[in-house]
Amino acid sequence: MSAIAEPLPSYPRGPALALAALGPVAIGAIMAVRAEIASPLIAVPAVVFGVVAATSPALYIATAVTGAAPPLGAVVRAFSVALGAFGIALAGLLLPAAFLALSSTDPLMTFLAATAAVGAAAFLGLRRLAHELVSAGKEPYPGATDIKPSLTSSTVFFVWSAATIGIAGRLWWDLAKEVLS
Amino acid sequence: MIGALDSVGFHAPARVDRPPALIDQLLRDRDAIVARIAAGKDLMAITRTMVVTIAITMAIVGAALGSYRGGIQIGYAAIKLPLVLIGTAALSAPALTAIGAALGRRSRLTADLALVITSLAYGALLLVACTPLILLGRAIDLSYHQMILSTVMMFSVAGIASLRLVTRALSAETGPGRGSAVLGLCVVFALVGGQLAWSLRPYLLRPRTPEVPFLRETEGSLADAISGAIRSARGIYTRDSAPLGD
Repeated sequence: MSAIAEPLPSYPRGPALALAALGPVAIGAIMAVRAEIASPLIAVPAVVFGVVAATSPALYIATAVTGAAPPLGAVVRAFSVALGAFGIALAGLLLPAAFLALSSTDPLMTFLAATAAVGAAAFLGLRRLAHELVSAGKEPYPGATDIKPSLTSSTVFFVWSAATIGIAGRLWWDLAKEVLS
Repeated sequence: MIGALDSVGFHAPARVDRPPALIDQLLRDRDAIVARIAAGKDLMAITRTMVVTIAITMAIVGAALGSYRGGIQIGYAAIKLPLVLIGTAALSAPALTAIGAALGRRSRLTADLALVITSLAYGALLLVACTPLILLGRAIDLSYHQMILSTVMMFSVAGIASLRLVTRALSAETGPGRGSAVLGLCVVFALVGGQLAWSLRPYLLRPRTPEVPFLRETEGSLADAISGAIRSARGIYTRDSAPLGD
């Protein structure tokens, strides 16, 4: 996890989460239009939110066991801020991705543009999550000492990120085979 | 003495919010214009002036490229090239804002749009300065592929200069997220700009081209086309001849 623990400027959480909810649907729509099948409309949001929902408890449990977890409420807040960051980033990348996907004749280009947009937004979301978790470790309870980033907490976060990306990547690859076939 | 100076043309400096003064400032003192954008001053005036600058300069560059074929292609290229730059700015600026905002950079879409448009206007001014070279190529009957490669080179230099201006502006900022925002913008800028230019081609046509299309049908990718042009410039052709007139 990042050693920088200064709080970052925040943004309105509601609209950001709405963007996080709608962005994957829009990416799914781009792929659905190009592949002329409806399944990406459901599959893209399902991959994004399903994987986050399935793996996020594991991060809390692992960091709590190693003594590096902020309170549960702070972890939930960190996840919602990171999801918002994912939504904002995806909203900014949606227009270029749609243009690149729809102006090309090759379905592979559509898939690559969609993958790059979701992948970049996910990477930025993970970076924000790491930062928020470190920030949340500063005086986690009134009077408590700071939870400082350690090699163990960084390793836990790295392994969790790799596992999450691996699972999402596998599901995304299955979707690719359907879209490109 | 002062009266004498006035009589020979010494006046107060021109107001820098007027279009010619803004363009002059962009050419001479880019740090000052970047500072104005960072401070959020005159954003509308700057954006408006830079859009008009792009429209005029790129129309001139387009007309120069179109003159290699001549005829209606001069007009077609003069219409399409400004659209490429303005479209690239419109599609890329939200990415700069969004990537930065996701990592905690202050969100300011209007200022980012002004910055991207200003940097593209700078590139467009550099390109219009290259117009005599394009016309020289036509005058000395440079081959079609040599013209293509020199055009790609000129546009690459202008693109790098534009990106450098954005990078310089963002490196003056403090706070998180600017490095990733610049990197993201560079990638989006190159991909979108390249693909938009590719989608709206042709700009440069062989003089013997019989029919001039406003847009070509979409085929292959930009990367395939560049490697094909390099092969052709080296005399390696994949077809027997270029299309001929009746």
